[in-house]
Amino acid sequence: MAIDVSKIIHAVMEGSKIRESKGIIPLFGVYLSLFSVYYYNRLSFDFEIKMGKPREAEARALLIKAAQECGYATFQGIRDSWEWQQVVAPMVENQEDQILGFVAVAVAFGWGDLAVEELVPGEKLVIRANDSYEARGYLEQYGPAKSEKCYMLRGVAGAFMDLIYGSDYPDGLYAFSALETCCRAKGDTCCEFIARKSPYRPNA
Amino acid sequence: MTIFDWRNELNRDGHRVVISGQPIAMHCHHYNINLQKTMEETLGTEGVELLYRSAEETNYHSLQHLFNHYNKIRTLKSKLEMASLLYQNCGLGIIHFRKVRPNLAYIASTSSHHVTGWLAKHGRRDTPGCHFTRGWIAGALEVIYQRPLGYYIVEELRCKMKRDEECVFHVKER
Ligand SMILES: [Zn+2]
Ligand SMILES: [Zn+2]
Repeated sequence: MAIDVSKIIHAVMEGSKIRESKGIIPLFGVYLSLFSVYYYNRLSFDFEIKMGKPREAEARALLIKAAQECGYATFQGIRDSWEWQQVVAPMVENQEDQILGFVAVAVAFGWGDLAVEELVPGEKLVIRANDSYEARGYLEQYGPAKSEKCYMLRGVAGAFMDLIYGSDYPDGLYAFSALETCCRAKGDTCCEFIARKSPYRPNA
Repeated sequence: MTIFDWRNELNRDGHRVVISGQPIAMHCHHYNINLQKTMEETLGTEGVELLYRSAEETNYHSLQHLFNHYNKIRTLKSKLEMASLLYQNCGLGIIHFRKVRPNLAYIASTSSHHVTGWLAKHGRRDTPGCHFTRGWIAGALEVIYQRPLGYYIVEELRCKMKRDEECVFHVKER
């Protein structure tokens, strides 16, 4: 494939050092913030705990939904941006390359060492990570988990497929949805996300 | 300030992104505001408290780490400067420590990621909404004055999310 991940990472790192006078980072068509992974983990996992056993499934669904909606809007902004046109678009030969470009941006954002393991156009996307900030953070902050914990990446994996193979923006959201089939937070060797087309709506 | 060279602090450690060696994630306003809305709508005041506490605790540890690392930064003025520089360089916005005493402070923000993000996504709201920044300020002052977590309580008196001219925060002992 023609996607040069290091080039995309370099562009994000350089761009994220540029500030306008109001302390806002406008990059790739969105406003970026740089903040400790500890915050995101504390917020998400304490939310799940506060919701308690009876509302556990609802808590997870809400966290996945927040990420999928965000991923959908964010990466739509990203692929429409001037930076994408300059840096990534020249490397993109087909729709599948776009997904590789999205994954490279996610790696650049510090979300984990994500890699596309399998992509069946219009059908299935498999992403694996040996290290995601969610799994690592859960282990460090809460100890071994009983279930998979990478809700943000799970939502985002679905969003990537929505953007490429769903209906035109903004109607393609939730055309796909992802499961996390194994997770380092519960002792698996890696985290794996499988997004497929399905009538599934994120409620489990 | 020359002691703290921001551009050298933001780096990569393998696939991770770090600021002064501490792992961070880049996220955009869509995610940050979605999380806020989810917390507020699902848990109400408990969700607001969770946003506040998470930001407070995180900033407390981050700044503690930074001040330990840059041990030449000792005065109140230089610590406040460093905190606002960090806020600005993390893309969180502009923060002015207008009046700061050990038991009371007034702080203003003329621009912020959360305000810009909220207004872009949802427009004006009727209640102050900078829970993240309130927590961030509490954590910062607790480290600077060497107080335990939770020592201060930060209220937002005016908020740009309500279309006030600036966000104004009042800090007092709990
Ligand atoms: Zn995982
Ligand atoms: Zn405000």
